[in-house]
Amino acid sequence: MATTTPAPFPFPATYNFPPFFTPQPNTNTRHSQLQKWSSLIQAWCRHHRQYRLSLIEAIDTPLFHNSQLRKRLDLREARAVIDWMAKSESQGGDGRAEWIEAPGNQAPKTVAWIWWRRPEEWADVIADWVEGTGQRGVVLTVYELIQGDASASQEFHGMDNDAMLKALNVLVKRGKAQVFGGEGQEGVKFF
Amino acid sequence: MFFKSLDLTTALRPLLLPDETLLFVQDAVGLYEGKYKIPNFQNGHAYLTSHRVCYVAAEDPRNYSVGIDLKEIDRADYQAGFLKSSPKITIYPKPQKNKSDKLRSANASPAVSQSTLQPVKPLSPRPQSAAPYQSPSPKPVNATWICPICSFSNPVPSNFDTTTASATTPIPPCLACGIKPPFTTVLKAAISAATGSATSRDLPLPTMKPVPVENSTVTKNASWTDPLGNGSVSCHRCTFVNHPSLIECEMCGAPLISAPTSNSGFDASRADSPAPFFDQTRVTNTEVTESIKLSFRAGGEKTFHERLKGALIQRKWLLHNAPPVPPPSQTSSSTTATTALESPQPAPRAAVGIAGLEQRGLEARMNNQLVIGNAFEDLEALMASAKQIVALAETLARESGMASNEGSAETNAVLSESAAALGMVTTKDMLSSGSENLYLSELSRNLAEYLTDDRKGILQREGGIMSLIDLWAVFNRSRNGVELVSPSDFERAAELWEKLKLPVRLRRFKSGLLVVQRYDWSDDKTVRQLLEWMDELRVFPPEEPVPWDWREVGRAVTAQEAAQRFKWSVGVAAEELEMAEDRGALCREEGIEGLRFWTNRL
Repeated sequence: MATTTPAPFPFPATYNFPPFFTPQPNTNTRHSQLQKWSSLIQAWCRHHRQYRLSLIEAIDTPLFHNSQLRKRLDLREARAVIDWMAKSESQGGDGRAEWIEAPGNQAPKTVAWIWWRRPEEWADVIADWVEGTGQRGVVLTVYELIQGDASASQEFHGMDNDAMLKALNVLVKRGKAQVFGGEGQEGVKFF
Repeated sequence: MFFKSLDLTTALRPLLLPDETLLFVQDAVGLYEGKYKIPNFQNGHAYLTSHRVCYVAAEDPRNYSVGIDLKEIDRADYQAGFLKSSPKITIYPKPQKNKSDKLRSANASPAVSQSTLQPVKPLSPRPQSAAPYQSPSPKPVNATWICPICSFSNPVPSNFDTTTASATTPIPPCLACGIKPPFTTVLKAAISAATGSATSRDLPLPTMKPVPVENSTVTKNASWTDPLGNGSVSCHRCTFVNHPSLIECEMCGAPLISAPTSNSGFDASRADSPAPFFDQTRVTNTEVTESIKLSFRAGGEKTFHERLKGALIQRKWLLHNAPPVPPPSQTSSSTTATTALESPQPAPRAAVGIAGLEQRGLEARMNNQLVIGNAFEDLEALMASAKQIVALAETLARESGMASNEGSAETNAVLSESAAALGMVTTKDMLSSGSENLYLSELSRNLAEYLTDDRKGILQREGGIMSLIDLWAVFNRSRNGVELVSPSDFERAAELWEKLKLPVRLRRFKSGLLVVQRYDWSDDKTVRQLLEWMDELRVFPPEEPVPWDWREVGRAVTAQEAAQRFKWSVGVAAEELEMAEDRGALCREEGIEGLRFWTNRL
């Protein structure tokens, strides 16, 4: 699913700082380290238009493996980082990730949503777009929303289906949209 | 008898004279003069040494500490406690030479009553000039006299007493040129040192300028005022009557103040002179007229009394014949102790050649025999001459060590020297049996002195920080196997440093490692040191190209490198690095090379 784009990802300076790959025992340092990891992962996913991150697959990508330093974040550490990201801000994390609990998945915590935009933020983006294009009261299918020509210039173009639904659900809760239809056939109406 | 000001060591204990030994220490002691308590001197440590009785207040000891020379003590009486009254030891001064003075001041207990009894009216129209009494020496407490030949500043011998000294008192020659000074020079220096410190410190009232010391000293007031009462001073040599503000006779140039004239003529005038005043809260350098009392609020009075009596009988201060070596090694050096223990020797006989050497050897053997013989006569005597025995054992050990092999000789010498320097001052024996706390606090002070002694530089050698275990080992080694300190006592003593406000402190690292540091040394300073070092590392390019930006992040350091750089032990270095990490200054990198530390850029 990694849609590799030709443009190389610009790594931040800390990526080349060897202690970046060692879990820091000092709480403050650790916190700042996790923040840096979080923003690196978010930037990486945004760059690659990635909404889900599979640790098993990503662990050997340059994201977690700095071949120049010959340093890597192992699976356990990477999981700890995502764990921290999955915590809400009130719990000491930054709420930028969410583990995907697949029902038949034997190994938990292998795939996670990386919210470089949170569902709430996506909802705002979509609502603004609807407002801006005067599509209130219009019924759209989710497929149209993601793949349609009208949204081609938008950030959510080509968005993950499930992620889009999460964003739309936020709008439903706010009373700004209504989702109907069955699995894979969802339509949405904006108010 | 005088209250003399004390020089305190870094650990706030009295600084001992070269061959002075500490005999006993007791805490919670109060000081009385006559029947009256002396304010601010009511809770402190009483130190009994072979030469002095010292009092060091628990609060603000730098200001409130005094000492009394044993040689000025006539006798000491023991007074048991009764109901709320604590047991006391009363110390009576030796009768003064000047009978009329004594009579005059005998019934006047402290100075308050004196000043009310005595009419305060200066005889001279203006106050006596204080000029001759201001101390010429930079250090008012340790008197120095300036050699008239070579102008070298010599110390006044500690056994030089202004009250008893006369022209016949032996005076050591100048240390620089070897010429004996005139008696008056030394006397003048001693007096001005005594009065100088008093005038500079305690004289809140402007009317009481130069007279904190009473007239017990015959020579001191000898030609201060003339009997006629007009303030002019007559020269003792040519009898020319000089203006009172002159220090030297206008006619013959003789010094006016120190002339030893007969005292009989002056009693009358002194009786009418302004009464000496001393600030009640400062008793330094004031004279004790009646008696002083030590009130023992926490026991220990019996032992104190016993040892005081012993010390008064032994009269160690008489042995101190040779002039003390000038200050640098003032506390205790065994060399002076050994030279001083020999009773006054006649001038060395002129013996040359092999005969002379043989004779010298014989003398030395005789002397050793004498010392050993005396020492083992009974246990008390052994305690008394412990120092000599130790010194003797050291020289013997050194000789035998040299004979056997070089390496051990060296270590032996180092060890025994450190033992001598340590002076073995704090022993359990010195303290009354029940007072565990006092033992600990004394041990604590002893340790602090040991650590801060610049001659040994224990702490400096270890980069200003050493682990408690290392210190314990070094300390006990330097005691030469005598009076060893148990680890638990040692730790508890070290824990007292902070409480006693001593210049060293105990620090516990996160891992539980206990280290000893200078008091003013803080983690912040260490962190700053480390960061400065890290910054230095950023200046020089690394030897081989590195993937990271070395100008920005520098390079990593290991505990070994830090230990080398700061002369720490590796364990301490690791702890310091982790402490810096804990404070967020550094961060770690774990790799196949081991643990390395970086400036925190996260």
